[in-house]
Amino acid sequence: MTAPAIEIARLSKRYRDLTAVDDVTLRVERGQIYALLGLNGAGKTTLIRMLLGMIAPTAGAVRVLGADVPSGDRAAWAKVGYLVEAAAAYPELTVRENLDVVRRLRRLPGTGVDPVGDIIDRLALAPYADRRARTLSLGNLQRLALAKALIHAPALLILDEPVNGLDPAGVAEIRALLASLAHRHGTTVFLSSHLLAEVARLATRVGILHHGRLVGEHDADHLDRHRRRHLRLATRDDDAARAVLRAHGYHPEPAPTGLLLADPRALAEPEQVAAVLVHGGAPPAELHLEEEDLEAFFLRTVAPDAAPELTEAGDA
Amino acid sequence: MREAWWAELLKVRRSRLPWITGLAFAIAALVCGMFMFILADPARARAFGLIGGKAQLSGASADWPGYLALLAQAVAVGGLGIYGLVAIWLFGREFSDRTAIDLLALPTSRTAVVAAKFAIAALWALLLALLLAGLGLLIGALLDLPAWSAPGVAAGVGHLLATAGLAAVTTTPLALAASIGRGYLAAVGVLFAVIFAAQVIAALGYGAVFPWSVPGLYAGIAGPDQDPPGILGVGLVAATGAAGAVATAWWWNRADHAR
Repeated sequence: MTAPAIEIARLSKRYRDLTAVDDVTLRVERGQIYALLGLNGAGKTTLIRMLLGMIAPTAGAVRVLGADVPSGDRAAWAKVGYLVEAAAAYPELTVRENLDVVRRLRRLPGTGVDPVGDIIDRLALAPYADRRARTLSLGNLQRLALAKALIHAPALLILDEPVNGLDPAGVAEIRALLASLAHRHGTTVFLSSHLLAEVARLATRVGILHHGRLVGEHDADHLDRHRRRHLRLATRDDDAARAVLRAHGYHPEPAPTGLLLADPRALAEPEQVAAVLVHGGAPPAELHLEEEDLEAFFLRTVAPDAAPELTEAGDA
Repeated sequence: MREAWWAELLKVRRSRLPWITGLAFAIAALVCGMFMFILADPARARAFGLIGGKAQLSGASADWPGYLALLAQAVAVGGLGIYGLVAIWLFGREFSDRTAIDLLALPTSRTAVVAAKFAIAALWALLLALLLAGLGLLIGALLDLPAWSAPGVAAGVGHLLATAGLAAVTTTPLALAASIGRGYLAAVGVLFAVIFAAQVIAALGYGAVFPWSVPGLYAGIAGPDQDPPGILGVGLVAATGAAGAVATAWWWNRADHAR
């Protein structure tokens, strides 16, 4: 049986008074795109560094592609590509030379198939191939860092904030690249981000890390189920409208302006709400279906008090 | 380790530091040659004023043995500084450029990366010492220094190279300092402290048991009345070098790379 790409069991990292990662257990299956979400300082980078054997856990177990990382088992590294925190490169070396260094250290062949030329083409780095890394823009430096992570066609990609520094076109490009790697080549992707809306378009599973603890895990397809929705309505006489709605079995709540309805029946058939109000003599002046966006859902999950208001999803 | 060696060599070839260190050693050979030039003729020494005065104070004799001994002393003192900077650059740059993280989870082990860096440092030190010896021979020939003998010059060059070796070996703890300090700054501070301590401890007469004073004593910097460092001193240098290298490899393998 093939081992999962990543298995983390009761993993913790403590520095004197600070607990950076606290009793985290998670599992990433092969071919999955798993996004670890968290605010800055949530413990994402510490967890990723433990995955890569750069930080020794205080407690718990980490297996990457079946290799027991904390014990010093390096068997997985030939099949893992990674990018941790800020992109970096040897400034006096060209893009091609930087990639050649990685090729050598990864013991990839230099003849026949040219992995350096191939990855330069795939990451659209050809115009900069012979430029020194110190002259690259932040976006192209990030591209070079991704090229270093991808040069050996890894089975597992571990990426810490991989779209940092990229412009919107670059973000879309990297998203497409990662999706293609996962779907066409079966590459497992484990990435961290603080942008739920961004990773929700890419990830198949999302874990939310807060203060070092994994506070939630969701299949990306099912994130909608957890997002709050309600109807916001305004009438000329809110008190009369509330009485009409209550008489028909709804549960309106007062809002700073108008009323809010979160009954499943109201959300499923908002036109019925409008009809009830019209027939009850309190016709709606406005009726909106509002839906919590992904960022708000994320913030509500990690910090309930900081969650912003819901945003408008459509008029009924 | 071959892969790591290749990578380190490429980084060094693309750097300006080999040229800068080569220039420093070339200047050392020229300055020692100038001392010989001045010492060969006392009247000329007086004409050179301050430089002439200092040259005479060096205690060197204007002949081949004296010149080669002066070069060995130059490599003992200057070598610690230059070789130390090389070690600090090789390791510290990975943290200053934030590239160390790219070396930590690879098929090539961290030990191989550290070993390749030390191997490059050793080669670099050897090439600089050979440059100094080669330029020394050339300048000595141009000055037409007296007392040439092939065995004597071979012994002098051997002494110079051995001094360079001792100086280079004592720099491995600086690689550790650059690693722990995650950059150049702390390690350069350690280098200055070590150079200062080496001078003071040697002056107090305990240089034979302080590894960083040993190359200078071995080169005869304390004068003909001072005993050479002996087996204990050389052994301490070897132990310091080995401990620095092992500790650096251990740190790369075991430390938390949290930054």
